[in-house]
Amino acid sequence: MHIRAKALATSLIAASLITTTLAARADQLDDIKKKGELVVGVLGTDEPNSFIDPKTREIVGYEVDLASAVAKKLGVKLTLKQLAVAARIPELQQGRVDLLAASLTHNKEREQVIDFSLTSFVTGQKVLVRKDSGITQLSQLGGKKVVTIKGGTQEPNIRKAVPGVDVVTFETGPQAFQALQQGKGVGFVNDEVSLIDDYAKLGPQQKDYAILPQNISVEPLALGIRKGEKTLKAAVDGTLRELEKSGDAEKLFFKWYGPGSRLKFPSRSFKIESDKVES
Amino acid sequence: MFDVSLVLSGQFRGWLLSGFVTSLQLTGLTLVLALPLATALALLRLAPSGVLRWLGFGLVEGVRSVPLLVHLLFWYFGAAELLPGPARQWLYAHDAEAACAVVALTLYTAAFMSEDIRSGIRAVPATQLEAGRALGFGFLATMRRVVLPQALHITVPPLISQTLNLWKNTSVATVIGTAELMYQAQKVETASFRGFETFVVATVAYLAVSLVITALAAAYHHRYPPRTA
Amino acid sequence: MSFAELIDTYWLYFLVGQYPKGPLGGLALTVLLGALALVLAFPLGVLFGLARVAPQRWLRWPVTALVYAVRGTPLLMVVFWAYFFLPSVTGHKTDQFSTMLAALVVFDGAYIAEIVRAGIQGLPKGQMECARSLGFSYAAAMRTVILPQATRHMLPSLVNQFVSTLKETSLGYIIGLSEVSFIASQINTQVLTRPTEVYLILGGTYFVLCFGLSRLAYAVEARQRRRLAPAKAFS
Repeated sequence: MHIRAKALATSLIAASLITTTLAARADQLDDIKKKGELVVGVLGTDEPNSFIDPKTREIVGYEVDLASAVAKKLGVKLTLKQLAVAARIPELQQGRVDLLAASLTHNKEREQVIDFSLTSFVTGQKVLVRKDSGITQLSQLGGKKVVTIKGGTQEPNIRKAVPGVDVVTFETGPQAFQALQQGKGVGFVNDEVSLIDDYAKLGPQQKDYAILPQNISVEPLALGIRKGEKTLKAAVDGTLRELEKSGDAEKLFFKWYGPGSRLKFPSRSFKIESDKVES
Repeated sequence: MFDVSLVLSGQFRGWLLSGFVTSLQLTGLTLVLALPLATALALLRLAPSGVLRWLGFGLVEGVRSVPLLVHLLFWYFGAAELLPGPARQWLYAHDAEAACAVVALTLYTAAFMSEDIRSGIRAVPATQLEAGRALGFGFLATMRRVVLPQALHITVPPLISQTLNLWKNTSVATVIGTAELMYQAQKVETASFRGFETFVVATVAYLAVSLVITALAAAYHHRYPPRTA
Repeated sequence: MSFAELIDTYWLYFLVGQYPKGPLGGLALTVLLGALALVLAFPLGVLFGLARVAPQRWLRWPVTALVYAVRGTPLLMVVFWAYFFLPSVTGHKTDQFSTMLAALVVFDGAYIAEIVRAGIQGLPKGQMECARSLGFSYAAAMRTVILPQATRHMLPSLVNQFVSTLKETSLGYIIGLSEVSFIASQINTQVLTRPTEVYLILGGTYFVLCFGLSRLAYAVEARQRRRLAPAKAFS
């Protein structure tokens, strides 16, 4: 009796606190300016969007630079917070970070719980396979084991694309990639850009791997903003539009993804201009 | 707002249930493997030979001082790679995640259980061992026929306590992709956006089995109270 | 990358994480978190332990239920509860360190409650009876007679609890806290070709830390057995 009553009371209190805290929140942009600090959630494990430079031990990357630009525009200090993939949206919802720059896919399902900035990157999800598995087509993955990351859109997407597939998830991208390398799965499901980066890291072993050409989804990545924070979104979008207009956005793309980087994208296939998505 | 039924229906229920069953299976299999190993380690630490005693000490302390998480990562990402080619490929094609989880859990649990078994054996008066040896039994035979059966009675409560720890420890296997209850709860939480309900269900599941194990300990204590010499 | 290169490149990251260019991490964070958790869990554990032996039923039963509930739940589950729901209930924003700290304090508090309970109940009943008959109230007797003696008995168990707590900090890995296991895994996935070595080094580090501490507990226990041998009635 004691235990059940306590559980019920706690959940009621939690529910009411959640609703009242959400309702009573003042404008976040004002809060950020007052604090003088913009707390941005990043993954820190997804090269080159956000990763830890082993020499300087600092978190750097394409999305980190975008976040810096926003902080500069607002005139506040940038503070980076490293998050696990599954924690991104909860941390934003609970106000523990102000903004998400964490390889976050913009889809309609997520629109119900958070807001998104203009799409800052477009990629698809693909599968990196071991050539010794003999798999050349997506459909051949049925009944086979693939690895991916916990808490993202990869698992639901691959299951939709290949109904009979067996999926094992790990805490971080690099850990899943290692599992693939060790042969614990025949394929690694992730954003195309991350896969290209991992493929490039393989060096001489590249001949043993291939990225399957089919996309299992199209992933527009954007910065995550808490639901209803219109002024913050306007400020973030404004910064992104300025970067695009001045050509800095493209320069950032080439800095991290261009011919001089490990990924060697010859050109940029998108522009930072819209926040509408298909699905 | 709070709606458990969503999490307890359809696909989600299937995932949670399969996770629950896997956790139980991990516990059962580990228990079966850890008990003999623990007994062997305990005997090693009580062996007449100094070398064997130090070996036992080293093994037990080495395993006990390292967190279970590290054991799991070591066996799955490290040691599994050291297997010869064909064996490794066979392992990876079958459930390597569960297999490595069982190996890590067995070693970890056995190290703790061996200490309890050793205490149990030491609680048996030394005269029992001496009498057995005097009658012509070897060390191991005396242990098996005379000391261990008496030690068992004292050891059961702490062993049940270790079983409780084992049940809870299976949750850490999620980090190497073992599809037990915690892993499935994380999966359901991501897919349903209903963290609160999912974790309530998973917590209740863990508590239910924990209470059964604790009740078992209480029943044993009631039925076989500790004998005073 | 050779073994020597591995140590040479990453030793600082392993020991202190990103500090000072970021939050403290690595081995330093593990020890700090463990120590802080134990220091905070101890008073909580004493409170719970006292409640567990209290004569008042309204105090004993809820706390007993709470202790059983916490001890029957995996620590990882307690961590997830703290991580997802602590901010909603307290109204405060919490980061990974605070979350892990809160989870450890609650979890270890429940275990220390049992250590305290055993410590108190392990004292001869005569102590409490004596104190009461001398005119001390229950609370004063606890404070001046029972707890000081019980604490000395509890010391080895508490050091062992510290060892457990240090190992428990490794679960911070799962919520992305940069304690030593998380850092080691990051190093592992950057280097990719030496997982066995990296995890052996990680295991070795915990071994030195935890084994050292349990030897300390053993030494304390041995010293106590000599000092606290019951006084002889006739010498």
